[in-house]
Amino acid sequence: MSEGSRGLIVERTDDLWRSGTRRSFLKLLGLGGTIVLAPTLFAACDDNDGITDPGSNAQAKLDLSTDVGIFNYAYALEQLEAAFYGAVVGAGNFATLFPDPNERELLTDIRNHEVIHREFLRAALGTAAIPDLQLDSTTVAALIADRATILKNAQTFEDLGVAAYNGAGKQLKDGRNLLVAGKIVSVEARHAAAIRDARDSTGRSFAGDDVVSSTGLDVKMEPAAVLASVTALNLVTTTIGVTAQQSDAATADQPAPAAS
Amino acid sequence: MDSTRHVPVLDGIDPEITERLVTRRAAIARGAAVSSTVMAGLAMASVPVALAALSTEAFGQGATLPSDIKTVLDFALALEIFEAEFYSAVLGVSAVTAQNSAFATVRAGVTGAALATLQQIQKHELAHVAFLKAAGATSTLTAADFDFTGGRGSGTGPFAPATTDVAFLLTVAQGAEDTGVRAYKGQAGNLIGNNDATHNAVLEAALRIHSVEARHASRIRRIRRLAAGAGATVRLSGTIRGGAAAAAGATGTPNAAMVSVFDKIYGGTTPESTTTHVVFNGTAEASINAATLANIVGGADAATEAFDEPLTRAEVVEIVQPFFIPTIS
Repeated sequence: MSEGSRGLIVERTDDLWRSGTRRSFLKLLGLGGTIVLAPTLFAACDDNDGITDPGSNAQAKLDLSTDVGIFNYAYALEQLEAAFYGAVVGAGNFATLFPDPNERELLTDIRNHEVIHREFLRAALGTAAIPDLQLDSTTVAALIADRATILKNAQTFEDLGVAAYNGAGKQLKDGRNLLVAGKIVSVEARHAAAIRDARDSTGRSFAGDDVVSSTGLDVKMEPAAVLASVTALNLVTTTIGVTAQQSDAATADQPAPAAS
Repeated sequence: MDSTRHVPVLDGIDPEITERLVTRRAAIARGAAVSSTVMAGLAMASVPVALAALSTEAFGQGATLPSDIKTVLDFALALEIFEAEFYSAVLGVSAVTAQNSAFATVRAGVTGAALATLQQIQKHELAHVAFLKAAGATSTLTAADFDFTGGRGSGTGPFAPATTDVAFLLTVAQGAEDTGVRAYKGQAGNLIGNNDATHNAVLEAALRIHSVEARHASRIRRIRRLAAGAGATVRLSGTIRGGAAAAAGATGTPNAAMVSVFDKIYGGTTPESTTTHVVFNGTAEASINAATLANIVGGADAATEAFDEPLTRAEVVEIVQPFFIPTIS
């Protein structure tokens, strides 16, 4: 993708999902600039274009046009969170990395909750559940290398989870399913606030200006952006593909920042 | 932030763009020449335009909300005004001197990180009030319409200790935030509509406010546990263990009236201790008990913490009415 002050060339479908590209795209629309969709883009487009992989070839298929598919999307994220915290709390050096019992309680609680979320969604999905996602062990080791790295990644995961549920909730058709998603997202937000507070105890980071907008709204991301963030972690070796897009229109993302 | 200024509902897009998007779309609707690439792009940008329908800044005063949505947002606005005025009074920045005076004693004890937290929360609650009003919600409530002691205007209600004791103040703040989380959760289903763009935009906004209230509630619990004497049932993960009054984790010896309110905040038809949740796969409904799932850890305690539960509108009204001088419904 290249951008001039009055023109934007979009070369690949992936480009359209990057928030930077999208912002340029919308800005140029509003200002009457020129947008060129390169021929290669049209060759790549079809109705079932996957985000991270052609949907039909993926090992974990997400049909985001149904509540079941959206629950599978949530299930994928909960699998990753449960695996991350499981690795943290289950590590032989957990008490050494975290000599503060308050931090051990925090991480153990979160681990317990994410495992419950994962098992609940597994039970809810039954035979419709995607497979267990396989993880790159080298990446896992890097994600849990030391206390600061663990807390940083925990923050990234929790804010991403909040953003994912907040973006996906409107796509759920059935009130029962929306309620369940609501029951989970507020707990993820509690986690996010707690991890942020553990990392920065000066009193505002729990709901900092980097995640809560000037109108008081929390982060939200569409599945494409969430899955792109997951892909960028190089964590999951199982291929994930979107076989059908969400049925209702996407809204503008307020992305969860990757923690630093 | 100037709380009287209407804030655009559209979020996440540069402000200048929102106005141009609406203007451009209107121009195209009138038949202005446009290339196919721009049309494709506008299709992508359609939901910001739908959101603009809710914004008085795009279409002027008096944007009309569907009545089912207005019913929900008016209720949310009343609760947000309650919270905004509560924190403003605690911080001593209420428009009503008497409200500020009431909290003068306890205010001196709120310092450092706890003070920064209450300031951040108050900022958000004011932002929520402005957002809901910009979306078309209305209320006649003012700072003078509240009795934060829970005495319906007497000023001597059962929560009076919140005006002098920091630990108690924080318990009340926790209760208010948890009530807010549970209230939004109970209303979300009323915002599904026909899965149309307007309902979806409002539902999304409501979910994004709901998660902010959960962040608030979590941080308050952590302050209480780390610095205000709360016991280990008040989790450092900021989650709620159990249900009914015990889930408040109140310190000291709350009086019977306080216990009754905590029972309502953490109880109800779907108490916070609930572990069975219902899903629908398009064909059949299933009830799944999180506490008895295979391969879980943390037992029933973790199962109650892992999910927050809704309150019905009537249940919320019963909880908050003592703090409102006018009758609410």
